[in-house]
Amino acid sequence: MITIYETLDQIDRGDIISSESINAAFASISNEPFNAFHESWKDETQVHVEGPLSGITVAVKDNIVTKAGTTTCGSKMLEGYRSPFNATVIERLIASGATLVGKTNCDEFAMGSSNEHCAWGVVKNPWDTQRVPGGSSGGSAAAVAAGLCHAALGSDTGGSIRQPAAFCGIVGYKPTYGMVSRYGLVAFASSLDQIGVFTRSVEDAAILTEVISGFDPLDSTSMELSSPDVSALLNEPLGSINIGVPQDFLNERNNPEINEAIMNAIKVYEDLGATIVDISLPLTDLGISTYYVLAPAEASSNLARYDGIRYGHRTDKVDLDLFDLYAYSRAEGFGDEVKRRIMIGTYVLSSGYYDAYYNNALKIRRLISEEYTRAFEQCDVILGPTTPTPAFKIGAKTDPISMYLCDLYTTNTNIAGICGISIPCGFATESDKPLPIGMHLQGPAFADAKLLQVANAFEQATDFHLQHPRLEQ
Amino acid sequence: MNANEENVKMTSEVVRHVAKLSRLALTDEEIEQAKVDLGSIFAHIDRLKDVDTSGVEPLDHPTGLLNRERNDEVGNVLTQQQVLENAPAVKDVYISVPKVLGGQS
Repeated sequence: MITIYETLDQIDRGDIISSESINAAFASISNEPFNAFHESWKDETQVHVEGPLSGITVAVKDNIVTKAGTTTCGSKMLEGYRSPFNATVIERLIASGATLVGKTNCDEFAMGSSNEHCAWGVVKNPWDTQRVPGGSSGGSAAAVAAGLCHAALGSDTGGSIRQPAAFCGIVGYKPTYGMVSRYGLVAFASSLDQIGVFTRSVEDAAILTEVISGFDPLDSTSMELSSPDVSALLNEPLGSINIGVPQDFLNERNNPEINEAIMNAIKVYEDLGATIVDISLPLTDLGISTYYVLAPAEASSNLARYDGIRYGHRTDKVDLDLFDLYAYSRAEGFGDEVKRRIMIGTYVLSSGYYDAYYNNALKIRRLISEEYTRAFEQCDVILGPTTPTPAFKIGAKTDPISMYLCDLYTTNTNIAGICGISIPCGFATESDKPLPIGMHLQGPAFADAKLLQVANAFEQATDFHLQHPRLEQ
Repeated sequence: MNANEENVKMTSEVVRHVAKLSRLALTDEEIEQAKVDLGSIFAHIDRLKDVDTSGVEPLDHPTGLLNRERNDEVGNVLTQQQVLENAPAVKDVYISVPKVLGGQS
């Protein structure tokens, strides 16, 4: 699979026609061994519109609603659910001529960092099928890494795009909160959720985001920007730019090969003329704790809608009163991780604990946001690792806390509502197969064009993004 | 117990109460597992209590947007049929539910 940019160029020059590009994607999806897709839509009647993305294939995370196929959020709760409407991002992709190839597996209701919490089975990492692809948008990441389609949509509430992108060796971009409409994204934690993209290059991420971003009256948190032109600076020279590196991000908690890859990336930027600035983000350590108050609190409210009444799973048990109808439908429909988070959220919002937990976490949210504001007075973007380790083995993390700590470096981006991207920057050699390493760049809110410019400069100077997994036959 | 005074002790009683508030019918085994899991999660979260947040205003939303109003006009709405298609039990044009008032049916 080649990039969106190269495909459009080939179609432009008449080297291929768009139907060849589309058929090739469906052929590879039909026998993919990674469980990346919950369903593919080859046989669904699709309206093909001629547009700038004709011939481009895009997979959709299974928590973004589509009139085609089903939307299950990786949950038995929504097994077979058919949305009566399309998400705004889906409408925009269809209008641009893109071909939507199907729905990708994810952790249930986007809660997880490994794709092991999916009712339809674990997704396998194309670089090493013994390992997880990351999560929660693991199916989307695996699909793009394996070259099954040009790009994929994901959602990122605390790292669910960037962490799987790092584990799968591709680009994963979470735009600033408010840049892309969340209308039709099944709500997990509404003040943190953001739709974003998985691609094989930074340029592709910009092309796709141009199409899906922009004000939407159907999402009251989408921002009215005069021009959300994320490609504006893409090919401008880097010039005099300050890159902030928090020294405490390069510590003994990380896999040493990750620290080494990040040190090498810093050298690449220095060679490109960037100035490296030492900064400090001490509240990063409190990010996971803050996140695991705020996100479950919002989730416990958002997931209250699954009551077995209007849609979703309803228990078969008979002679229940209304309370038990709710309680059994939810207990049967939700998996363990979702139940756990609903209970955390219910607890921190309950009488007597609201101030101590939820309100206190909102205050720390402000401190985290202010810490970023001070950091961005010294630098244009912040550079560090996306994850402390490369992809781990399926089944390796058994307790919730060790799983939650996978998102150590990514949650605060969402807590502050700023933009972040993970791009390939190296490979770890701890296993017999190379395991991708991701570099995390964060930028201020609505400085997305600058963020992508900095990411693109690294990509142009290196070849990590050109390496793809050797697929097992 | 006041959450400010001591760290959370997840007893079976607390977990059962939270499960009830959450409308989750958990088995005894699930209650016991939740005791362990929530205990370790809150042990981690309780670090937040050591942060000095005096005088800090809560930030509940990153963009600081306030309510956005629109004209009260009817836009695209779902039809009755579309809504009923996903309902687990339907009778005529209604969603069917157990008897709510007057005790067990």
